[in-house]
Parts: sequence; structure tokens; C-alpha cells
Amino acid sequence: MTAGPGEAPEGTADAGLATDLTAAPKAASAEVPPELLAQSLRQYLRAWWLRVRSGNSGVLPVVLAIVIVAVTFQILTPEHAFLRPSNLVYIFGLSTVYMVLAMAETVVLLLGEIDLSVGAVALVGGVMAFKLVQQPGPDWPWWAAVLATLAACGLIGAIQGTLAARLRIPSFVVSLSGFLLFSGILIVVLGGADGFVAVSTTVPNQRVIYDMVQGLIGIVAGWVALAVVVAATAAALWRRAAARRRQGLVAPPASLTLIRIALVALVGIAVVVICTVNRGTPLVTVEGVPWVIPIVLVVLGVWTLLLQRTRFGRYIYAIGGNPEAARRAGVSLAAVRTWSFALCSATAGLGGILLGSFFFGEYSTNTQDPGQLVLYSVAAAVIGGVSLFGGRGKAIHGVLGGLLIGGIAYGVSLLNLGTLATPLEYIVPGCVLLAAVLVDVLSRRGPGSVTRV
Amino acid sequence: MSDIPVTADPGETPAGIGDAGTAVDLTAAPEAMTADVPPELVAQSLGQYLRAWWLRVRSGNSGVLPVVLAIVVVAVTFQIANSQFLSSLNLVNLFEQSTVYMVLAMAEIFALLLGEIDLSVGLVMAFGSVVVAELVQPTGANLPWWAAVIVALLACSAVGLIQGSAVALLRMPSFIVTLGGLLILEGVGIIVLRGSLVGIGNSRFTNEVILYDIWYGRFGPVVGWILLAVLLGAAAAGLWLRDARKRRHGLETPPRSLTAMKIALMTVAGVAVVALCNVNRAHSGTIEGVPYIIPIVLVVLAGWTVLLQRTRFGRYVYAIGGNPEAARRAGVSLSTVRIWGFVLAALTSGIAGVLFASWQVSLTTNIIKTANSYVLLAVAAAVIGGTSLFGGRGKTIHGVLGGLVIGGIYNGLYLIGVSSQWIDVVVAGVLLAAAIIDVLSRRGAPGQA
Repeated sequence: MTAGPGEAPEGTADAGLATDLTAAPKAASAEVPPELLAQSLRQYLRAWWLRVRSGNSGVLPVVLAIVIVAVTFQILTPEHAFLRPSNLVYIFGLSTVYMVLAMAETVVLLLGEIDLSVGAVALVGGVMAFKLVQQPGPDWPWWAAVLATLAACGLIGAIQGTLAARLRIPSFVVSLSGFLLFSGILIVVLGGADGFVAVSTTVPNQRVIYDMVQGLIGIVAGWVALAVVVAATAAALWRRAAARRRQGLVAPPASLTLIRIALVALVGIAVVVICTVNRGTPLVTVEGVPWVIPIVLVVLGVWTLLLQRTRFGRYIYAIGGNPEAARRAGVSLAAVRTWSFALCSATAGLGGILLGSFFFGEYSTNTQDPGQLVLYSVAAAVIGGVSLFGGRGKAIHGVLGGLLIGGIAYGVSLLNLGTLATPLEYIVPGCVLLAAVLVDVLSRRGPGSVTRV
Repeated sequence: MSDIPVTADPGETPAGIGDAGTAVDLTAAPEAMTADVPPELVAQSLGQYLRAWWLRVRSGNSGVLPVVLAIVVVAVTFQIANSQFLSSLNLVNLFEQSTVYMVLAMAEIFALLLGEIDLSVGLVMAFGSVVVAELVQPTGANLPWWAAVIVALLACSAVGLIQGSAVALLRMPSFIVTLGGLLILEGVGIIVLRGSLVGIGNSRFTNEVILYDIWYGRFGPVVGWILLAVLLGAAAAGLWLRDARKRRHGLETPPRSLTAMKIALMTVAGVAVVALCNVNRAHSGTIEGVPYIIPIVLVVLAGWTVLLQRTRFGRYVYAIGGNPEAARRAGVSLSTVRIWGFVLAALTSGIAGVLFASWQVSLTTNIIKTANSYVLLAVAAAVIGGTSLFGGRGKTIHGVLGGLVIGGIYNGLYLIGVSSQWIDVVVAGVLLAAAIIDVLSRRGAPGQA
């Protein structure tokens, strides 16, 4: 955010009691994002437009891309089937893995590092959870298996993070070794090149793991859950804004908070309505919200809170923006980096469990190529709007980027292209990735931006 | 002598500068200048040279030493585990298997030296291999083999030109450009392959036979010796004449004994390789002679070494990798050099593609998966060989040696019956060890964190 001093929004002088803070010297106010100073909805929108034009377009490009992709495939697919509820729910299931892995990768990208091992670690974690609930075998309760997987993956991340943070070995090399290492370990834990592990749908304990992506919440329960989620979000948003206003801090206008709540409610209702349509055959009813939607929302919520509202999150952005400045401000670089790698790998482990669940509760060596998985995860994060150079991005970017990648992959497969179908599944995401970065690079060329040599 | 900017302390300049003979006029320059000159350049005797070299190794610029040690360790370990490892049959096999890693690592080094990365080398290789195989099909384009190779190399260079332009002119991060390029090439490769298989194994067509022979062909024993003699003669004459000319002009020159030692080393290595290859390594019948791919790799190595060490372009590559802003202010056209760097990386990947096509004989869509795994192995080979990921440090020979280590590990573990998944684990360990050694050794260097 490098808004020129002259670009500070008007109205800061004639605002009321709440503008005490904005009365700070001009040099300081120049560094404050205009949205923080905006007092009315119009000012806020103008400030937002200013920010978009200066290159910080946030989620706007990826949302536009999702709309374009949806419209394009809706027109192109035979019988305009792309936006049918059954397809939309399937796309969401397909995308969850990319979403979760992209969120994991985002944390590390924010630091200005990279983790090439997320794909392999995710697969190892998934297989581990599946193995732990096998009935002739460990037969752990599903929650214990999931927790153990997250802990094990977190430990893997902590080791890689320690090597990268304490020894300052480039994270590219550390995680490249991690990728090779865990691609090998994956086959070992699977039990050889033709290894195979599956969860049974008849054993309740294993069924939980199978249901994580395949399972559906009943229609009534779906609406109740939606009401609870929307109410909780609304209450949190409203009360935070009210609390700030009460204490005389700068708060977004009430109308803006209302619009946000309305948007959340609208999107939620749309999702539940889509999921409530019977998408089965005339004989078999398939309806309801997949469990995976609340699961992804929880991961998104946790990561958003951690990154936006905690000291740890602020340290991550500080290190990504300027490590030396963060160090001089007293941030322990090594600790924050190690923890970030650990949390990244733990999230990847969850993604691995979801991946196995998506493939109908089965894991084999052919389930997914770890190299392709990691490249798609990085691509999803970058397409979503996370900067490769650290300090810029949010968890929601990973979710949106993952949705875009999943949507493209499935849309291309619907197109009846014959021999062209497989190649286009690679080519289209590649082009989208390049376009995303091109937009990012070009938009940052605007006034007051910093260009790399 | 060395391109690597050594920042030896003024106090560490080797002793004996003052008492050297007539050739030391240049070293009489102010102290500030001599401090930046690598100690080898001012060494006058073999002893001084060795001491300067040891100083450089201790200061963190260990060059090829770690990877040569790694090769020795790999050789000794596997020889103990399986006495077949160092047999003629296996060593030739090992070298053949390593060549693709070697050539890909040499390609990757162009990007790494610039401080960039090229994730697409593996897929450019796959693309090149499919193009060359498709073009010689008698039912298709039916081009002569040399035309097919040239077209394939040009096509690969074009890919590099596009990627390089995106990196250099638009300043898009090379990681993303080549990642996007990789994804697109996966698709394009399948399209060129027309979703099915293409082979060059039909012995009725001369073009296919020649392509097949690139990998599987061999020189006769006598031809091998003659070639070696010619090569050694040329290399020795080149080295000796260059030194003699430098000495005549009163420039700094390595001692004669060192030049003689270098020539002797080359002779020993060359004779060993040819002798090894000329042993009959077949279980029944006769398989003997130097495979064609050994001179092919040597030509690529020599070409890129000369380009990087002896030309203005090469110096610009190192300058940009060391400090792009400084290079820009010195008048180097960053975008031109960067674009050429990516073109050369893609061209070299295309050479690997021709070798790969010859090796595989028939190509199916499985090559996409293989190519994807080769990308990371190529980076690993370059880093294990001693090339820095941060630009400005490394040589072409590092790619060859690093590729040999990876090929040796694959071959050795396979030989002692370890299943393939553990091979990745071991390669990961070697890569990590290489990085740790690099980081730790640089901690001892003055002026570097």
C-alpha cells in the first residue's frame, strides 16, 4: 500500500469524534490504508477502488476468473451441464484437496519461502490415517488417527522448518529433499509399488473417514448449520465493529458491515440450496450438504483468524515483507518460520485424508502423483492472489484458487473433446497460472510501485 | 583461472608475491587490487598453487571437491555391497543411465547461474523427444534424422525463448513462468504424441536406426583409442599453448608442472574410460567399445564450458547472477542475457530429449510422469554438483558430476536389490547433505553469512 500523501481520502478533517487517530501527522496517515480512514460507504468504495487500481486487487481477479470460467464452461459444455448441482458439488469435492493444500502452502509463501513437500507429506499423512483405523490392525478411533496424522505431519514440517530456519538452507532445497524422501516413504507405508489401503463403509469408525468428503449432512441439519454459521459470523462482525466504535476507534461504516453479513448469508443460502437439490437418479436420492464444506470452512476460519488476528500472524506478514526489519523489531525469525512450516505440513496432512476420502476411501500408489499435487497447490495459491515473494496473501486466496483449478479440471473433462481432453487439463491451468501472474505483475507496475531489477 | 569471486582477506594473500620473478609485474598493483585476485592467479609454483587451492577450499569455495568425494564414497560403498558395481558392464550402464541427468543438470545450470530457476527442463526434454520421434516416422513427416533433430532442438529453443522473454521482459517470476510452461508442455506433449505411442525401433528405416544408435551405438575398440588420442592431443596442445602464450606475454600463468599434471590427469581418466569400455561386457557374444553418448556428453560439456568461462556472454551470466543491479549499471543488457540463458537451457533440454527418445525407443504418455520426476532430479544434480541456487556460482562440469552421483545411487541401489522407493529416500539424503555442506562451508568464508 503506497498511496501518495495526496491520495488520502477526503473527509478525514470534517469527520466527528472518531477521527482522533487520523489527526496524526500527515506522514503517518499516508501509510494508513484508505479503507481504515473511510467513514462512509461511498468513501470506503472509493478507497477500495483506489487500492485495486494501485495493484492490490486482493480477491477481485480470482473471483472474476471463477465467474468467467463458470460462464464459459456453462456455454461450452453439452446440454449446458456445467452448473448443474451434481457437478457443482462434485467440483467442490475435487477442489477441497487443492484448497486445503493451497492454504497450507500460503502460510509458507507468506514468509517468502516455499514448501515443495506438501504433496508428498499430504499423501503420507492420508495413508497413515487410513492405516491407523484398519480393523485387523491398529483400529484406532477415527479422531485419534486424524490427530496422530496431524501431529506426525506437523513434526515433519517442524524438522524441515528447523533446517530451513536455523541452518538457513534454502527452503527450496530442504523441501525438495522432503518431496523425494516422502515420495519414497509413501510407497513404503503403502506396502510396495502395488500397495493399497481402503476404509470400509460398513465399519462406523472407518465410515467417518470415508464420509469426510463423500458423506452428506441431512437437509434440515444443513439449514440449521447454515443459520448457526451465518448468525455467528454476523454477530462477530457486528460486535467487533460496535466495540471499535464504542471505544472511539476507526470502524468501517455500519452499512458496510451489513453488506458483508448479507453477502455471507447469500453465498451460504446459495450453497445450501444447490446442495439440497436431489442430484441422484430417479431411484436413488442424493441430497444434502457434503461434510467437506464445513470442514474446509473450519480450516479457512482457523487460518484466517491465525493470520489476521494473532501476533503470530502479524509476525508472518512482517517477516515476509522484510525479514531484516522484522528481526530488528525483535521477532524471532527462526521460531516463526519453524512453526509456519509445522502448521503448513499439518494442514497438508489433513488435505491428504480428504484426498483419500474423495477417492471413495481408497489409497493406492496411483491415487495421485505427489509432484503434480504440489505444483497444483502452489499454482492454486498464486492464482488465488498469494505473492511468491512473501508478505501478501490470505487463506481465502488459497480456497478460491483451489476452486478455480478444480473447476477448470472438471470443466475440461466435461467437454467431450476426445483426445484433446487430457492435454487441455494441463494446458488450461497452465495458461490460467500465467495469466494470474501476468495480471499481478502488470497491475503492480502502476504509480508508486516497486519493480524488480 | 577461476571465475569464482574469492574474497580473500588481504592478509591471506599467499606468501611469495614479493620474491617471485619477472612475471609478477601485475601483482605489484596496489594492495586493494590484489586482495580481489584469486590466490591461484598469483601463485607461481606448484606448492603455492596447492596452498592457494587449499585456502580456497577452506574458505568455502570448495568447487568440485565435495562431489568428487561423494562419487568416491558412492563407488566404494556399492563396491563393498556388491562386487559387480565396478565391473565394466555396470560402469558403462551406469554412465549411460546418468547421461540424461547430466545433460538436464547442465541445462538447469544456465538458469541457476542467473539466479533464476527452470522447472520446465524435464518437460522440454519430453517435448523434444516426442517431436524428434514423430518427425522421422515413415508414415508421417518422414524427415531425415538430422533434420528431425534440428527441428526438435529449434522447437525446444522456441519454448525457451518464450519463457525467457516472459521472465526477462515482463519480470514474471521464473518459478511461475516455467511452472506454467511445464503444465502447458504436459498438454502439448500429449497432443504431439496424438495420445498414442511412437517408436523409433523399426530396423527397416535408416533414420530410426541412426536415432536408435545415438544411445545404443558404440565405436569399435580401435576407433575408440584413436579418438582418445586425438582428443587428448588437442586438449593437451590447447592447454599448453595457452599457457605458453600467456607466459610469453608476461601474464600470470599457472606453473608448468600444474599444466603437465592436468594433462596427465586427463590422460589417465581418458585411458581408463576407453580401456573400461573396450572390455567385452556381454554375458555371451561381444559388447565392447565406447558408447557414442560419451563423446556427445563431452561435446556438450566442452561447448557450454567454453561459452560460460571464455566468452563475454558467460561473464555476463555470472555478473547477473552475482548482482543484477551491479551488472545493469555496468551496462549489461539484463533482458538479452536472461532470454539467451533460458534459450540455452531449453536447447540443452532438447539435446537431453534426443538422447531420451533414443534410450526409450518407444514413447508413450508415461514419459510425462518420468519427465516430471526428472525436473527435480536435474535441480538436485546441479546442487549436489556444487552449483548455488542463488546464482553466480557453479560450472557446467558440476552438472555432469552431480548427474553421475545421482545415476550412481540409482544404479547401485538397484544393483543391491533395493526397491525403487528407497532410492528416492537416499537421493533426498544426498541432496540435503550437499546443501548442508554448502551452507556450513560458506559460514567459514569471510564476508559471507
